Amino acid sequence: MKRRDFLKLGGATAFAALFGGCDNLPKKLVPFVIPPENYTLGESLWYASVCRQCPAGCGIVVRVSEGRAKKIEGNPLHPVNSGKLCARGQAGLQALYHPERLGRPLKLSGPRGSGKFTETSWEDALSILMTGLKKIRAEAPGSLLMLAEPMRGHRNLVVHRFLRAFGAPAPVAWDPFGHDALLAANEDVFGIRDIPEYDIANARYLLSFSGDFLETWLSPVHYGRAYGRMRQERPTVRGKFVHFGPRLSMTAANADVFLPIAPGTEGFAALGIAHVMVREKLTPSPAASSLWTAGLRQMTPETVGEKTGLRPSDIEAVAREFAGNQPGLAIAGDGAAGCTNGTFHFSAAALLNVLAGNLGKPGGLSFPDRRSAFPRAGADASTLAPLPESGFASVRNTLEKMRGGAFQVALLSGETNPAFTLPAGLKFPESLLSVPLVVSFSSFLDETSSLSDLVLPVPTYLEEWGDDIAPAGHSGDAVGLLQPVIEPFRDARPMPDILIAAAKELGGPVAAALPWKNFRECLEQGYTGMGVNLENARREGGIFSRKGSLSRTAKRAGNPPLPKAIEASYEGDAARYPLVLHVYPSIALSDGRGANLSWLQEMPDPISTAVWRNWVEVHPKTAESLGIADGDGVVVTSPFGSMEAFAVLHPAVAKGTAAMPLGQGHTRYGRNAAGRGGNPFSLLPVKDTAGAKSHARQSTRVSIAKARIKGKLVRTVNVEGQWKYENIL
Amino acid sequence: MKHKWAMAIDMDRCTGCGACVVACVAENNTPTAGEEEAGKGRLMQWLRVSRFWKKEGEETRAIFVPTPCMHCEKAPCEIVCPVYATYHDEDDHLNAMVYNRCIGTRYCANNCPYSVRVFNWWPAKWEKPLDEQLNPDLSVRSRGVMEKCTYCIQRIRRGKETAIKEGRKIRDGEVMPACAQTCPPGAIIFGDLLDPESEISRTVKDTRLFKLMEHLGTEPSTVYLKKQKGPGR
Repeated sequence: MKRRDFLKLGGATAFAALFGGCDNLPKKLVPFVIPPENYTLGESLWYASVCRQCPAGCGIVVRVSEGRAKKIEGNPLHPVNSGKLCARGQAGLQALYHPERLGRPLKLSGPRGSGKFTETSWEDALSILMTGLKKIRAEAPGSLLMLAEPMRGHRNLVVHRFLRAFGAPAPVAWDPFGHDALLAANEDVFGIRDIPEYDIANARYLLSFSGDFLETWLSPVHYGRAYGRMRQERPTVRGKFVHFGPRLSMTAANADVFLPIAPGTEGFAALGIAHVMVREKLTPSPAASSLWTAGLRQMTPETVGEKTGLRPSDIEAVAREFAGNQPGLAIAGDGAAGCTNGTFHFSAAALLNVLAGNLGKPGGLSFPDRRSAFPRAGADASTLAPLPESGFASVRNTLEKMRGGAFQVALLSGETNPAFTLPAGLKFPESLLSVPLVVSFSSFLDETSSLSDLVLPVPTYLEEWGDDIAPAGHSGDAVGLLQPVIEPFRDARPMPDILIAAAKELGGPVAAALPWKNFRECLEQGYTGMGVNLENARREGGIFSRKGSLSRTAKRAGNPPLPKAIEASYEGDAARYPLVLHVYPSIALSDGRGANLSWLQEMPDPISTAVWRNWVEVHPKTAESLGIADGDGVVVTSPFGSMEAFAVLHPAVAKGTAAMPLGQGHTRYGRNAAGRGGNPFSLLPVKDTAGAKSHARQSTRVSIAKARIKGKLVRTVNVEGQWKYENIL
Repeated sequence: MKHKWAMAIDMDRCTGCGACVVACVAENNTPTAGEEEAGKGRLMQWLRVSRFWKKEGEETRAIFVPTPCMHCEKAPCEIVCPVYATYHDEDDHLNAMVYNRCIGTRYCANNCPYSVRVFNWWPAKWEKPLDEQLNPDLSVRSRGVMEKCTYCIQRIRRGKETAIKEGRKIRDGEVMPACAQTCPPGAIIFGDLLDPESEISRTVKDTRLFKLMEHLGTEPSTVYLKKQKGPGR
């Protein structure tokens, strides 16, 4: 689509303003006697907004016909995804039109946690909320807790200001796939605690250490597009991609060279490469000579080979190619972040970037300053563009305080589902039940919102005003803007609007902190204050810089310390639990939030081609020794729990490893999600990654035993019998 | 105005992510089968990403082959249809279906070497309000008919109508099936082979070009570009 055509299609913001918003709304499809100028029956309009199916913040345009959203496409003007969209983004319509979406406030009608609710009016629901808030406002304002997903933009600003003025602690955010290890490593190596911008599109050589950047990590659409450009967009160069990891993931399957390694040894493989680069003087970096310490000297290809299972000759070959093909990139990802030594893996990968001199170059990595998007926000800039941390440590502390009776009222918001994604050892449900009043802002009854007293239905991202700044994919100052593309489909009210209204009723400093009529006004004041023409910005889907890179200089890039090599540790006795558990986010369901959408449930997994179910991947040799065949029902047991799954023989997963996708195994969350096998999160221990304090997902051993379980694993019809691979390529 | 629509899938760009599959389902009013029906091989998706394992042991790799309808010039499905429900569209060189002529013999599926046709076993149900999302540009197919990828024929029609209204030729890239539009790495290239300037016309001259089961002589319009090896081109 050409830019001009796009503007033509999007040119109807006034119409959106009539339909959207948060006040009392007309409830008929075409309530106008004289329709607005640009409104013709049968013709579609396209509105730009931002996707919220995952935290990547891609821009979208939504086709709206007769007041109903019909299709979501990528926004071609948005720098993060340039008109492209992933499967989850495409499935956003199903969240909007979900038959089980909440349309009225729900009040608990049985014991807490029973999941029994009755519908009530907004007046009644809000009066319960206000009674609770007013009571603790006088006696103990510090006993108000807000638990949410990591929020960005003015939504986060409203929440922060509300809580600060109320006298309550800052909101606690939880994202199971936060980027703590990456942030901690960048602080150690570069002296910048932030997410870098990886210029994969212009790289000639890409080294990945369990970095599944094409699936769920950071910004899959942005990096997916960059990957395509790295391969085939340049006339004479095709970037080479080498992947190290314990499992052949979808990303690994796209590598030119996949080098399987033992779980939890990614950092050692990186140090082995660094050793060869420094020893053979393949790097011009001034850091090289000071790094030639005893620590690096002992990381010979032979030692590393023993630890990782790599051939020393492979390590040497990759090191020479990496050094000789500049610009290049080394990245680590989710699979490595969840190890107990996750920060070490990321630091070692970052060190390779320093040695190869990749910092600040096209085809390398740079550090854009995302706070530069909000030049006049001052101290508020850190709440508008917060760091993408998981928040595991603060969730842990909070749950301890919760059990000690520190909180009287808890507000739960967002896509986060801690009752599903936290390890059972943290006792989230029990802790939450000890809070006298729990109010959820939610569109669906999931495991977490079912534990509350009151559920307030909120709109989906297609019916809301808002703004968003993506964690990756732009030079730092591109802001996406959300607008309601259709009239809110249910009687839902946005969470920031409820907070603003509550602040008004509470009065005093709380009302003064949130002085706006509604959230839309808050946004508009924020951006017009920055000198933005909001009408134009909404037409394009955001404020996109054309200024080029605003990269910051790394304080320590010239002379980084050698990361301390730490071994990964695993819970469970190796004799009783012979396999190491490797869990990974499902490409369709992410951490489980997509599990209620049938389109995503029915999208075959790229590797196992399974639909609608959970499975566990084991190497054929391992399976043989356990007496398991492909498709068998098994019970997977860790020291912390056990669950049922179907076995899938995966020829390229490390021997002695059991790999499982996360996201399935809901007990609530509607018909599509509930009752589909066990939840792999329930097998995980409560353990930190060293140095980053995030949840160490890859830190337990499991055993697998054959069992009779209901049903069978459904996979797409496999035509492999008719088609030999040799006939394909 | 005659066209010869064709699609090229660059295996060096395709990552196997499945965005095309869901985009197709969203665009073409394809119902979900559910676990039980899917278990009987009744997934309704018009586009699948086939996964092939390559070699055993250390060299094991997975290869992803997105497989939509091939829109064959010499289509094996067309010649076996007793009621001419599937036919060759002369204007667009599409392998098209007339749904209300189809009597569900499924001979076409039987004769398709690519296994890309699906049968409607049940009347599709969209629980309210999920029906609000249905694409108004194309019909919901009834029980007992075959269906298949159409290269998003509704988008082709719309593109042609707009071009006629504005008195011009269709521009390259103006018509784009849902899968090609969404594909993050840009692996799916679509266009008119009769336009010598189009991207697809340039692409089919690539030396990496190959066709699925070329030996059968079906002359597919959907073609593939081989994965490349090593750095540099």
